[in-house]
Amino acid sequence: MRGRARTTFIVSFLAPSVALFGLFVCVPVVQAFHFSLYRWSGLSSVKTFVGLENFRALFKDSVFRQTVVHNLTFLVVGGGLILLLALLIAHCLQGKGKAVSFLRGTFLLPQIISLVVVAVLWMFVYYPDAGLLDGLLKLLHLQRLSRAWLGESSTALWAMVAVFVWQGLGFYVMLLSAGLRGIPEEVLEAATLDGASGLRRFRKVTLPMLWSIMRVAVVYVAINSLNVFALVYLMTQGGPDRKTEVMLTYLYEQGFKNNEFGFATAIAVANFAIVMGVSLLILAAFRKDPQEARAAR
Amino acid sequence: MKALGRCLALVAAACLAGGCGSKKDALEVAAFKGGYGIDFYEKAASEFASKNPGLNVEVWGNPRVWDQLAPRFVSGNPPDLSLPGWDMRVWALIYDNQLEPWDAALDGPAPDGTGTWRSKFLPATLKLGEYDGKVYLMPFYYSVQGWWYNVDLFAQHGWKPPKTWTELLALCDKIKAAGIAPITYQGMYPAYAIAGFLFPWAISAGGMQAVDDAQNLVPGAWESPAMLKAAQMIDEVRRRGDFQDKAIGMSHTVSQTEFIEGHAAMIPCGTWLHSEMGKQLPPGFRMQFFLPPVLDDNKGDPTNVCFSVEPWIVPAKAKHKKEAIAFFRYMTSLAKAKEFVQTKGTLMAIKGSDQVDLPDYLLEAAKASRQAKVSWSVMYGQWYPEFSKETEGAMSALLSGSATPQEFCDRCEAAAQKARDDTNLRKHQVTH
Repeated sequence: MRGRARTTFIVSFLAPSVALFGLFVCVPVVQAFHFSLYRWSGLSSVKTFVGLENFRALFKDSVFRQTVVHNLTFLVVGGGLILLLALLIAHCLQGKGKAVSFLRGTFLLPQIISLVVVAVLWMFVYYPDAGLLDGLLKLLHLQRLSRAWLGESSTALWAMVAVFVWQGLGFYVMLLSAGLRGIPEEVLEAATLDGASGLRRFRKVTLPMLWSIMRVAVVYVAINSLNVFALVYLMTQGGPDRKTEVMLTYLYEQGFKNNEFGFATAIAVANFAIVMGVSLLILAAFRKDPQEARAAR
Repeated sequence: MKALGRCLALVAAACLAGGCGSKKDALEVAAFKGGYGIDFYEKAASEFASKNPGLNVEVWGNPRVWDQLAPRFVSGNPPDLSLPGWDMRVWALIYDNQLEPWDAALDGPAPDGTGTWRSKFLPATLKLGEYDGKVYLMPFYYSVQGWWYNVDLFAQHGWKPPKTWTELLALCDKIKAAGIAPITYQGMYPAYAIAGFLFPWAISAGGMQAVDDAQNLVPGAWESPAMLKAAQMIDEVRRRGDFQDKAIGMSHTVSQTEFIEGHAAMIPCGTWLHSEMGKQLPPGFRMQFFLPPVLDDNKGDPTNVCFSVEPWIVPAKAKHKKEAIAFFRYMTSLAKAKEFVQTKGTLMAIKGSDQVDLPDYLLEAAKASRQAKVSWSVMYGQWYPEFSKETEGAMSALLSGSATPQEFCDRCEAAAQKARDDTNLRKHQVTH
């Protein structure tokens, strides 16, 4: 194929998807930036240009700062636990056999269930007195530990983080299992023959060979933690007393409850910047693949 | 294939010309489909259409009708008449000049009998929809808010609904001795506690002015002795263990289920409680309304009642305003209002509409409403949602014991100050 014909051929295949991406992704993002410069109720075409006032208000807003801290809690505690547990479970599930396949499927189950169902299930778990958790505590004669899990300021956020971990774990178990299966057995055997076993083999051989998968997993868990919404909205709506409020539930409240769409889109822009910033930081931290570095030496 | 294409083109053209699913030039009515359904409006629509040959009335609705209405308002093509439901910020529509005032029609003749249409409404319900001296929000059914008790549980133990604070505390002791939680509440939604505990007790401690001032953002109103006393009363009930354990973590449905299952003897709620619990009500379960107990040296009007409405609206850009108003007027005739009360088991804003066989659970609420010399409503939540959210958070902290009554008041006052200083916030006035 000659050069020009080849270009036409490629463009004709790419153009529809680029156009759709532009129309349904780029335009709304640009529009969000645009709306954040206005005061707008979202209920009429009446808009007042306010420049950067929404952003000024946002930076002074203590509730927004609180939501960022909560999102970071989801990221550091929830995301950290997810990755740690997923790595451990994936490592334990490297064998073959029906039991392993069954367990792998079981861990994926929460990921398959709709978030609404997950929320309802966990609301039953946390149901005061009659819930599964309180029932378990009763069984263990630990009633004194029983709480209004989602209603008390001291427990609500941790209760939500637990649900987040339970719901998200399966995907990362799958992802890391696939990564672990991709490591050639002879490499691991060679490491064992060289005297590296157990934790040392895991740290020096397995983990470096999982580097690129880990990079994807960490970025993905960060995006999910910073954009958590449905679970929180369905289970606590940010309460009690904003103790589980996250960026997107606050955005929803401002846009759809308070009809402050300009301010809500300013939150959306800030959320976009934070997610982008954190993702870039993670990518930078994971920039040097230890395997490549070793190969280069 | 060609025929299919032609058919699709015709459907598309029809949709563009008249709007999918609606006949051209039909009067479009969109209604919130809650516990009372929309069948009453559909029936009224067919009656109204038969009385007005050539007029088509189309009624549609669902439990989240506000989600469909918002884009219709933005595009300038709203339905002619709406019951937009509890989650629609109708005040934002008023501020944006999106609603039609009803005053000209209200000053016209009533749909039945003598006098003006305005004179047929309970005045307090009409007043709730006023802005700048005009009525934009029309009342239809309304709810009375107070406390409820489990009739059979009370009868079984020989208890009586308490009228005073002393009686309340004495009764709570007896209820606890019987192994039952005296009071439960919708802890995940602290607005219930504001309407059910805080404001009634603030009225009792300082008169109606105490709550009017609080809603009007008067400096110091949220730290007034009356408001502090009300917060102290809530704190005392909590410290005595009169609230159901872990009610702070209960949603409205969970706490109300606890009530109807007899695990708690009393609950604050509106007259929607019966229809909201609907099928979950155990067979033969009986509940009755009573006014929140007042202080022994009560300073408020002893008949005062809290109520709320879900308003109907006509958009300024509606295509059939005249017909929309005429249809709503038809639905508020005394005969139709009585029909609504009887079939739906709720109270109506039309005078005399409660002169029917009311269901048992409504009798005391209707009586309280009839006898009330002062009717009030919690309005600041609709006007100042940000401030309202902060007071709800403070209430949550008070109910959980993580804030003292003084800290509660200080936090609410600071939030009120912020709302006062916000020049973008349109200010309202409650008067009695």
